[in-house]
Amino acid sequence: MIAPGHLQLVLVTPEKTLLDEPVVALRFPLFDGKIGVLPGRAPLIGRLGYGELSIKTSSGEKSYFIDGGFVQVKGSVVSILTSQSMPTSAINATAAGEQLATALAGVPTTDVEFAIKDSEVERARQMLSLGRRGV
Amino acid sequence: MAKARAIVKRLKAVKNIRKITRTMELIATGRFKRAMDRANEAAAYTEKIAEIVADLARTDLDFSHPLLESRDECKNAVLLVLTSNRGLCGGYNAGVLRQAQRRHRELSAADTTVSLEVSGKRGIKFLQFQGQSISERYTHFEEKVTFGEVDELGSRFAESFVNGTLDRLDVAYMRFQSASRQFPVIDTILPMGQLAGNSDREAASSINVDYEFLPSASNILEDIVPAAFKAKLFKCFLDAAVSEQIFRMVAMKGATENANDMVGSLSQQYNRARQAQITGELAEIIGGVAALD
Repeated sequence: MIAPGHLQLVLVTPEKTLLDEPVVALRFPLFDGKIGVLPGRAPLIGRLGYGELSIKTSSGEKSYFIDGGFVQVKGSVVSILTSQSMPTSAINATAAGEQLATALAGVPTTDVEFAIKDSEVERARQMLSLGRRGV
Repeated sequence: MAKARAIVKRLKAVKNIRKITRTMELIATGRFKRAMDRANEAAAYTEKIAEIVADLARTDLDFSHPLLESRDECKNAVLLVLTSNRGLCGGYNAGVLRQAQRRHRELSAADTTVSLEVSGKRGIKFLQFQGQSISERYTHFEEKVTFGEVDELGSRFAESFVNGTLDRLDVAYMRFQSASRQFPVIDTILPMGQLAGNSDREAASSINVDYEFLPSASNILEDIVPAAFKAKLFKCFLDAAVSEQIFRMVAMKGATENANDMVGSLSQQYNRARQAQITGELAEIIGGVAALD
């Protein structure tokens, strides 16, 4: 089932399939930190965090921003489901900065709202740092 | 002369209309293709979600999520009606609105407070004319529905459902089955009931993969339920967009064909009138000559 030395990445958002190509290695954020995937990875289902998906292909490296979601590794196919994704170069750093400001300005009162605020802030921070690097 | 000229005038008008309907048909065809591509691309996400859910379901996890639980008493319901912003699409809006009104009556009869949320100018106008009070109106959902827009709506519904201010969410829209078959339906998407498609998928993929779950199966399920709900809602919008273009295409095709028929019969009438007129004039001249002799 596992073809050594081969990994297929499928990056899907609700709107479209952004990538479906063979890759050499992958790095992306899980809910609690980064994970690297190489060919032959054991099957995995995980919750994604916010941040950079870096892809190493035979022709070079690519970088995408991913906005939470899920990952499924099954055989040689890595499926990444995220609600929003874009190449790092397409991130608008100013807009991300504004989002961070709005997220920080929120005053949560309940546990649920605290959790939402935390994730919003984390998301905006990740987006901002990637956006700044892209410039 | 008067009659022939009147016919020429009509003929011109009909030809103009034919040009317009033909163009509209072509535009609708183009938009349909685009909407169809979007719907196809979006299907990948829904399928993957269903696959993960099926994989999770196989772990024999005793699991409940607020979005899945149905309430004993249904006090507040939202009926979301998806219609088009523009007309000239045959029975598209009428079909959806008929279903929506029936459901509205049923729910009202069961002592449920129904708040109507309508997308599309056509539906808004119609329901206003019927004297229904509409609590939310949306006119920004065109054929290019983005997930962001639907996500906003979905989050609001999910939140009020969890809060208990909403007990049921129905969506009335035109379901797209194939390019030649669409029909108006009402889907109850909240509560979600069982996460659909588990049993047949399980049978289909007999290979049981032993997954590693990060952080844990139940934690992932907790997150995937809202995602599945939003994907479902998004699919309704996409279906509606595709169906609208198909309906418009069919309606405009019909209109163009009718215009063709009309052009045919009008030209025939015109030729007859012209002939009659010439015959009449000839008869007059001959009559005049005969009178002189």
